[in-house]
Amino acid sequence: MDIANSRWLWLSTLPVVSVVLLQAAIFLRRAWNDGKEMGLSDDQLRSGFKTGFISAIGPAVAVLVGMLALIATVGGPVAWMRLSVIGSVAFELPAAELGVSQFGYGLGDEGITETAYATAVWSMTLGGTGWLLVSALGTPHMEKARQKLGNGKEKLIPIISSAAMLGAFAYFLTGEVTTGTPEAGSVAVGGLVMLVLLRIADERDLQWIREWALGVAMIVGLFVGVALQVTVGGGW
Amino acid sequence: MSEQSAAADGSDAGSDVYQDSFIPYINTWGRRTNLLAVLLSLGPAVVLLTVFDIVPPSQAVIGAFVSVAATFGIFWVVEPISYYPVLGIPGTYMAFLSGNISNLRLPCAAAAQESADVQTGTPQGSIISTIAIGASIVVNTTLLGVGAFALVSAFQAMPELWQNALESYLVPAVFGAIFAQFGRDYPKVAAVGFVLALAMTLLLEQGLLNFLPGYPLYVVIIVSVFGTILIARWMWEQGMIEAPDDS
Repeated sequence: MDIANSRWLWLSTLPVVSVVLLQAAIFLRRAWNDGKEMGLSDDQLRSGFKTGFISAIGPAVAVLVGMLALIATVGGPVAWMRLSVIGSVAFELPAAELGVSQFGYGLGDEGITETAYATAVWSMTLGGTGWLLVSALGTPHMEKARQKLGNGKEKLIPIISSAAMLGAFAYFLTGEVTTGTPEAGSVAVGGLVMLVLLRIADERDLQWIREWALGVAMIVGLFVGVALQVTVGGGW
Repeated sequence: MSEQSAAADGSDAGSDVYQDSFIPYINTWGRRTNLLAVLLSLGPAVVLLTVFDIVPPSQAVIGAFVSVAATFGIFWVVEPISYYPVLGIPGTYMAFLSGNISNLRLPCAAAAQESADVQTGTPQGSIISTIAIGASIVVNTTLLGVGAFALVSAFQAMPELWQNALESYLVPAVFGAIFAQFGRDYPKVAAVGFVLALAMTLLLEQGLLNFLPGYPLYVVIIVSVFGTILIARWMWEQGMIEAPDDS
């Protein structure tokens, strides 16, 4: 997959990442100036910036570890763009998987065709525009939308959302589980590590463990997969 | 709030600047930049199309999109509405443009509001979260850019066993972990989803779904996602499950 890491693809990601930075710059400048007029002190503004900057480092490194899975499957440029704009590992991986699965592949399979790869890129791109469109056109109307949604059904929303997520990820992981022992081991261990870490994070109220949970689960799952492949072998 | 209304002059002027100048400006530019990003995010897909002449069949692209929409479509609307009270108007534009909301933008905004000593939900809080999210975008774009570049070279220098391992075994661990994260709150729903999906996947692999037109993968996805939703809904109506307090 030389195309996936080609110079052209790197170049193609620059415009959209620039828009993200441009928006951040425009908003920052305006918030800084208007903030002063609203009576916020220089100290408060600076401490807001500094805290945002510092707090971002830990989670960003955690995202970087999660990005490994995307780099290995869809290449560096697309992974970078998808995680700098719109996405998160939890959305981009399944979206890419749904793209290549149209051709009967799984992500990371040997000899994925260029067409299947391109379909994964389209799938992530088009799937991600939903959030952009809703936020671009809907943000000024959010307050009203919230009130409308609050008509007694709001208790059902987290349940339906979680059920959609669970159904989809159940489909993804059964695809992996039926592939072979190493994949099944990786799924099981990834899930167990996540459960244990989240439990510790809850009990001790440690936010940084929550940030690192996915990255750690991934790495431990990787090693278990390799260990099983070396000892038991691939397939079932 | 009472402290602020005591300083009536200052806070009135403040909310005037916020409502009459800041927010209209943000709405104008937020809409422009986010719509521009919709167009420009097509960059890699278009380069694959034009420079490399890779034209995926439209049927596959539509199939992939429908599957993604079935799974994540509800989040396109629910997430902006649920995060909006914490992020504020500017934060909503920025966070949904830059992604990684729950793990990165929300913690940064909350921590900054805490350290600048402003209240969430007030104009002052919204200004500070705008600044904090702006700072976090600078950090994560740079870090991920440098990291992606370095990781690609590292990946290509690895022995084949490890390259294969990274391609094959990271993804299942992520799937397992996220399934566990959601399943923690709803173990019964997780069990239902797993059984449904496993049954459908086995049916597909045994060729028992071949009576359906095309490659019947879409049936597996639809039954897994919507079957789980319907059963979860029914369980909720029966009082078998309920939403956790802090979701």
